[in-house]
Amino acid sequence: MIGLLLCLPAALILAAGFVWPVLLLGRISFNRTTDMGAMEEAWTLETYAKIVTDDFTWDLAWNTITLSAGAAAAAVALALPVTLLIRSAPPRWRGVLALMAVAPLLVSGTARVVGWMAILGDQGMINALLTGLGLTSQPLRLINNLTGVRIGLTESLMPYCCLVLIAGLSRLDSRLEEAAATLGATRSRTFFRVTLPLAAPALAAAFALAFVLGVSAFITPRLMGGGRVFVVATEIFDLALETVDWPAAAALAMLLLGTLVVAMVLRGVLAGREAPR
Amino acid sequence: MTHLRLERLTRRFPGTAAPAVDGISLDLPQGALLALLGPSGCGKTTTLRMIAGLEVPDEGRIQVAGRDVTSLPPHRRNMGVVFQSYALFPHLSAAGNVAFGLEMRGVARADRAKRVADALALVGLEGFAARKPRQLSGGQQQRVALARALAPQPDLLLLDEPLSALDAKLREEVRDEIRAVQQRLGTTTVFVTHDQTEALAMADLVAVMHQGRIEQLATPEEVFERPATRFVATFVGRAAILAAEVVSPGLLRAGEATLQAAETPPSGRAEIFIRPHHLRPLADGVEAANALPARVTRRTYTGDIITLECDSPAGRLLAEVPGGTQAALLRPGDALRLGVEPGDLRVFPA
Repeated sequence: MIGLLLCLPAALILAAGFVWPVLLLGRISFNRTTDMGAMEEAWTLETYAKIVTDDFTWDLAWNTITLSAGAAAAAVALALPVTLLIRSAPPRWRGVLALMAVAPLLVSGTARVVGWMAILGDQGMINALLTGLGLTSQPLRLINNLTGVRIGLTESLMPYCCLVLIAGLSRLDSRLEEAAATLGATRSRTFFRVTLPLAAPALAAAFALAFVLGVSAFITPRLMGGGRVFVVATEIFDLALETVDWPAAAALAMLLLGTLVVAMVLRGVLAGREAPR
Repeated sequence: MTHLRLERLTRRFPGTAAPAVDGISLDLPQGALLALLGPSGCGKTTTLRMIAGLEVPDEGRIQVAGRDVTSLPPHRRNMGVVFQSYALFPHLSAAGNVAFGLEMRGVARADRAKRVADALALVGLEGFAARKPRQLSGGQQQRVALARALAPQPDLLLLDEPLSALDAKLREEVRDEIRAVQQRLGTTTVFVTHDQTEALAMADLVAVMHQGRIEQLATPEEVFERPATRFVATFVGRAAILAAEVVSPGLLRAGEATLQAAETPPSGRAEIFIRPHHLRPLADGVEAANALPARVTRRTYTGDIITLECDSPAGRLLAEVPGGTQAALLRPGDALRLGVEPGDLRVFPA
């Protein structure tokens, strides 16, 4: 009872700052946009119909899904060795290493993008190195395109993957790997036959989180795509603030939200079926 | 023939003053079961882990069947290990767990199935091949762990407190099973335990360990009846401890009594250890080298054995008498005479 009371402030903040705006957004998505571009109060599915039948929407959705799935997979793949290193480190180093792995979360997304510009730009570190070594004559286009967004998104998702994997793998008993070794398994066979299968649920959880964050990412695609990369989140922004078509922006946002909710419920159902008890 | 040889094996953990294992040497014959017995922190598990290759010794050598394995990684040592927590692979069935070691050694699939079935039959788990570890009881998990360790026919079987997670009744059952299987296969075995009953019941040889060293390496009877050091005398079994003074070699003064002992230090203060079963109630008129008048102060009934706590001129004594005898009827306050052979007194310098 007291627990519920103590949750009240958080519940109020969530209601005012999240639930109410989402409801409002939902309401706007049913409004009509006139030919003049003005918004008119209504209860209509016109906007939804327009979005769903537009090929551009499906292109956007496909881009968004492939981009986030790729970035999430890359982030999980990169975070796994980091997590395994942290796990095998002496106990007093583990905390420091874990903090280093998630430290990027402490830097604002915008600042990180500026950092990437210095690294990936035409005059950036990588191109300076490549041309300096004579490996390329033309600078590689590593930013302001899809490649840039892929790199930036992967990097921004990695700390989240590390967090999930550190928590997930800390429950993995190192005696199991020792047992595998005493049974004649080399380190690599131990990894593929014991560590990886047991880490699978954590890897799936990390991928799911990274994917959801990737789908809704805005700053990285916007700033590192140089206006050439279009995903659902950037489109919502453009619709709301440049085209000023609020019902369309709201409807697209609701569709995105709905898709993510369905995806997460599905994942929960699947994960629940795989791991009884 | 010596199968396992440890030479001055030493392991220091960083940040600790005393080595966890301090220059241990021993020879174990082919087919024997050695119990490493000692309190927690005595270095017994570290010793086992070094033999398995899971811990690297700072000094010393390990030889198995004449081959130096000191610098071999665990997967090339061909040893079967049963961990205290069993460490069964939770994502594999009982059969999958047992097959793991065979697969890693490249045993062909057809041969593998038969050997898995044989190993599970050996531990009485024929019908459980498809079960996952979490669907098995503690005792069954223990048996799967044993079958998994034995299936690849290891040169050495290593058991780390394999019974500690089982309840008392099951522990005895599994203990006898492990011993029977070990003797049937003739696998040289090292067994870590802090339980003296386990060590004495199962082992051919017992190494009593204390502070990283072996205090005594001998048969269970020898360790129990003739403890080599004060620590062994106190750690293994019960004993009455009497403060004494050596009068002359073979003669001691304890309290107001004079006692004869087969072996004593040449002179000085000493401690006498007397096992409860070495003290015998003497019938009237029977003489003995050491006969002590005593009075019962406390009687503990544990069924087949009755323990009498007695006061005597030599000090407080513990005597065990079999149930159903005349002495078993004694009550606190009753008087009796207790006799002990000079050869049964263990005397250590104090």
